[in-house]
Amino acid sequence: MLLKTPEFCDNMSYTPANSFSELYSAYAAGCLDPAFALMVETQSVLRPGIGDAVASSEMISGSLLETAPMAALSGGALDRALAAIDALGADETASVKAGLAAGEAMEEVLGLPEPLRAAALDAVGKSGWQVMGRGLKRLNLNAGSRLETELYRIAPGARIPRHSHAGSEYTLVVAGGFTDERGSYGPGDVIINGPDDCHQPVGDEGEICYALAVRDGGLRFTGMFGIIQRMLGAR
Amino acid sequence: MVALRANKADSGFVPAGKARRVFDKTVSTVDPAQRERHADCMAAISANRSKEAFAELFDFYAPRIKSYMLRLGASDSEAEELAQDVMITVWQKAGMYDRNQASVSTWMFRIARNRRIDAQRRQRRPELTADDPMLRPPEIEQPDALLARDQLEGIVRSELVKLPLDQLRLLQAAFYDGLSHSEIARAFNLPLGTVKSRIRLAFLRLRGELEGGT
Repeated sequence: MLLKTPEFCDNMSYTPANSFSELYSAYAAGCLDPAFALMVETQSVLRPGIGDAVASSEMISGSLLETAPMAALSGGALDRALAAIDALGADETASVKAGLAAGEAMEEVLGLPEPLRAAALDAVGKSGWQVMGRGLKRLNLNAGSRLETELYRIAPGARIPRHSHAGSEYTLVVAGGFTDERGSYGPGDVIINGPDDCHQPVGDEGEICYALAVRDGGLRFTGMFGIIQRMLGAR
Repeated sequence: MVALRANKADSGFVPAGKARRVFDKTVSTVDPAQRERHADCMAAISANRSKEAFAELFDFYAPRIKSYMLRLGASDSEAEELAQDVMITVWQKAGMYDRNQASVSTWMFRIARNRRIDAQRRQRRPELTADDPMLRPPEIEQPDALLARDQLEGIVRSELVKLPLDQLRLLQAAFYDGLSHSEIARAFNLPLGTVKSRIRLAFLRLRGELEGGT
């Protein structure tokens, strides 16, 4: 199966005109790259219009399941399912409770919408936040994709070092907001930057900004940070 | 587009001839009475842990889920295992199903799809949590949302069976096979603009935003 990244997609911002976007149909069908699927799911929580478009897409996919031809199952398939059900213990919910308890120690990300919250909790437990500068932290998420998937925490007034991108970068504002040379962005906004775009985002005053970034080619820092990056031999 | 698994058989690409074959038969979705019956089965599983109700859903959905998995490029044994896995998840999570939010087929499709994605990930997700979005559709937060989800489901189904065959095939390529619009254009040998406008028309019609007859 090919998993798609939205090189082809029109736009991730919701307008009635693109509510039928192939991004949502590919997501509904299960063919979207997991990093972008995480982004679509998070954006649907933040933007009811996107949530509606995704829900309609899933209804269409679900209806098409009813029309699907029936594949022959192996003999005794139902009996095996029933046996598996019998084997399920009373501990069905134990692991869920354990996960939630572990999560309580990580207040930092508890306010994030699902499914981003679960991905962030997992990453905090494994790699933890990486401090990138004053008021700026980065968390590497494992979305099951080869694409870089990172959550940024930007304190009010904090600057992300000026950078460009080797490929394209999609950034979803999850909470708070930031401003760069071209504008200000708030929750639910997706900012798309190509290889030629170079920007220096600054966290807006007020709330701490969380932003989910998915990119296919890495960051290239252009200022002092870039010199250090090159000295360290990255890209 | 990124090929995470470079397997030719996995490409999901549907040649025009093959895509056409699928809908040569009359398209039929389940009727409203059967939809209610499936929702009743979910209630019986949740409230009484009814194995009869489970068996009824299994007979209807397991072969269709397997067929969906095969279509996405899973091997026969993978597809069978995934279908089993989905049905057992349905048993475990039946209590989270809300018949006012989604039809059983849409709910199950969502679980099936996510199970397939999970199976492809390097690491399996540990466990479903009660908050997992696969178990719930996104909430409608706007009070003035166009239509309640269950009304929308009804429209989707009644319009789906009325769609002209050419629109239906395009919808299937987009929403079931997950092809991008440019892939569909190539598969059906149509200009990209035509694909986009036909899918847009069909989508709006299914959402009840357009009168029929286009």
